Amino acid sequence: MLKSKSQPSARKTEAIPALSKQQEEIDRSLRGIQQMMSQVLFRPLTSSEGMQPEWNDGRPTAEVVSEFIKPNDRLTSFERLEIYNQQYWWRLLGVFQEDFRGVRAVLGIRKFDKLAVEYLQAHGSTTWSVRDLGQHLVGFLEAHPELTAPRSDLAIEMARVEWAKVIAFDGPALPVLDPQSIAETPPDKLKLRLQPYMTLLELRYPIDHMLKRLKDRGSTSARASNAMSGSRQASLRLLKGNPSRSPIHLAVHRRQFSVYYKRLEPEAYRLLVALRGGASLADACASAFSDSNMPETQAAERIREWFQVWMQLGWLAQ
Amino acid sequence: MSATRFTNQVDYGVGIGLRIPHYQHILERKPVVDWFEIISENYMVDAGRPLHVLDQILESYRVVQHGVSMYFGNAARPNRDHLKKLKALTRRTNTPWLSDHLCWGSVDGRYTHDLLPMPYTWEAVEFTARNIREVQDFVGVPVAVENVSSYAEFHASEMTEWEFLCEVVERADCGILLDVNNIYVSSQNHTFDPLDYVNAVSPERVAQIHIAGHTKYERFILDTHDHPVIDPVWKIYKRAIERCGRTATLLEWDDKIPSFQEVHREALKATRYLPEAESAKVEVAA
Repeated sequence: MLKSKSQPSARKTEAIPALSKQQEEIDRSLRGIQQMMSQVLFRPLTSSEGMQPEWNDGRPTAEVVSEFIKPNDRLTSFERLEIYNQQYWWRLLGVFQEDFRGVRAVLGIRKFDKLAVEYLQAHGSTTWSVRDLGQHLVGFLEAHPELTAPRSDLAIEMARVEWAKVIAFDGPALPVLDPQSIAETPPDKLKLRLQPYMTLLELRYPIDHMLKRLKDRGSTSARASNAMSGSRQASLRLLKGNPSRSPIHLAVHRRQFSVYYKRLEPEAYRLLVALRGGASLADACASAFSDSNMPETQAAERIREWFQVWMQLGWLAQ
Repeated sequence: MSATRFTNQVDYGVGIGLRIPHYQHILERKPVVDWFEIISENYMVDAGRPLHVLDQILESYRVVQHGVSMYFGNAARPNRDHLKKLKALTRRTNTPWLSDHLCWGSVDGRYTHDLLPMPYTWEAVEFTARNIREVQDFVGVPVAVENVSSYAEFHASEMTEWEFLCEVVERADCGILLDVNNIYVSSQNHTFDPLDYVNAVSPERVAQIHIAGHTKYERFILDTHDHPVIDPVWKIYKRAIERCGRTATLLEWDDKIPSFQEVHREALKATRYLPEAESAKVEVAA
């Protein structure tokens, strides 16, 4: 295998068969142009939504881009690349805004837009699908409370629920559990799996109710069409919420191909979390009621009821 | 040309892009449409509503896959996970051919989610043809590459866009999805005669044609897919059909999407220029 500065990482090198010297030079040349143009695209827009006039090294951006982009009789090299720079940010910000409408409504337009730009600079898209754009947002918000203060806790919880909605929408599903298999297996041997598209959350804020208030705002768009957009919309009503006195336990799931929230009793939540962690049914039930004052007979009845509902909802899997 | 090896020997007429605002109308009313084009990436998911809707559409309609993020022109080779998902979807849809763009869109693992213009160099010809061949071989379905609208040109270019397209498809031995709206948009942005482009393309390789609307600004045109097709684009389409004969034609409408009926009506204007299918001629003769 030939060594070259253009090979980006050992991991990538492993997957690519050896190229001839000539091919490698060609690759470097094409990659060089693509790296240069992407550097331009990934630089955030100015406050007036234009391309930044100054390059990383202090030179005028116009001078830098004119080295590889031709002007025409109507547009300078700078103006021609500015179209792509704008489209990159408007497209990604549009998708991000659509996936995290709740976070945006909690923070307000200006703060959300600043957060979005910071996030997308730190976590640009690394997959072919824009669906995954927000996969690192919760961790990013936890690491950067200064971007969401003074509503950081609410913003983080909102982001957790909204990312759970993305997973619930099209996440993988396992075959639903056959009720016969529960009846035939002793509880201490029975291990149940939960649907991977379902997310279990413990929250301080009534995010589910807050998102319901938002539901009638906004509309869908053709998110993967790659059609260009002429401008970006910006209108918003702020969303407010107070923390609950006791934790809220929420399952974000799907049924009949639609995404739903379902509030859970604390014991039910603990039981499901234990099952997801790989506990047997017997151990999960025991851990669910370890801190509970519920009488044993009542607990047994509640477990029966929960399982009946969970089976109907298709949450339990083989 | 209809029914060639680049279309898996099938002859499709005029279709429209399958879009979310039309789902309900299509599933409830079952309107007569020759075929739908889907954006592959919207259905390359594990489960959920997108696949549920697609399966219902497939029960009643012919579907052709159109991708937006394979990026044949990337310096890097095609992403294996992407290819596997794409192949799985082709098994589901039985798409007779699949298309994606003659562009690049990611570098060093970072995606722009845009259809970025190529430098028209011999080096890029080699790499793009290599990537198309790899996709075609892996997926096992004929590939058609689509010319994109562009707003910038590179100093490095060594040929015209249509020369680049012709070189790539010859070396990759693949089909062409000729987007006549994109030809128009680029011809205005880069000042060339759009008919020069159409006249240069090998007609036997044209598997499909795209038509669409766009937005004209003071100093450039954006490919917005949010308007009806304008007369100068129909003129290019007419010329393309004169050269290529009956060709599967698809209207794209992606923003400010009007009713299904309006989109379909706009698409069917293409039939003014299309010769009848051989099968239709036989039926009339009998």
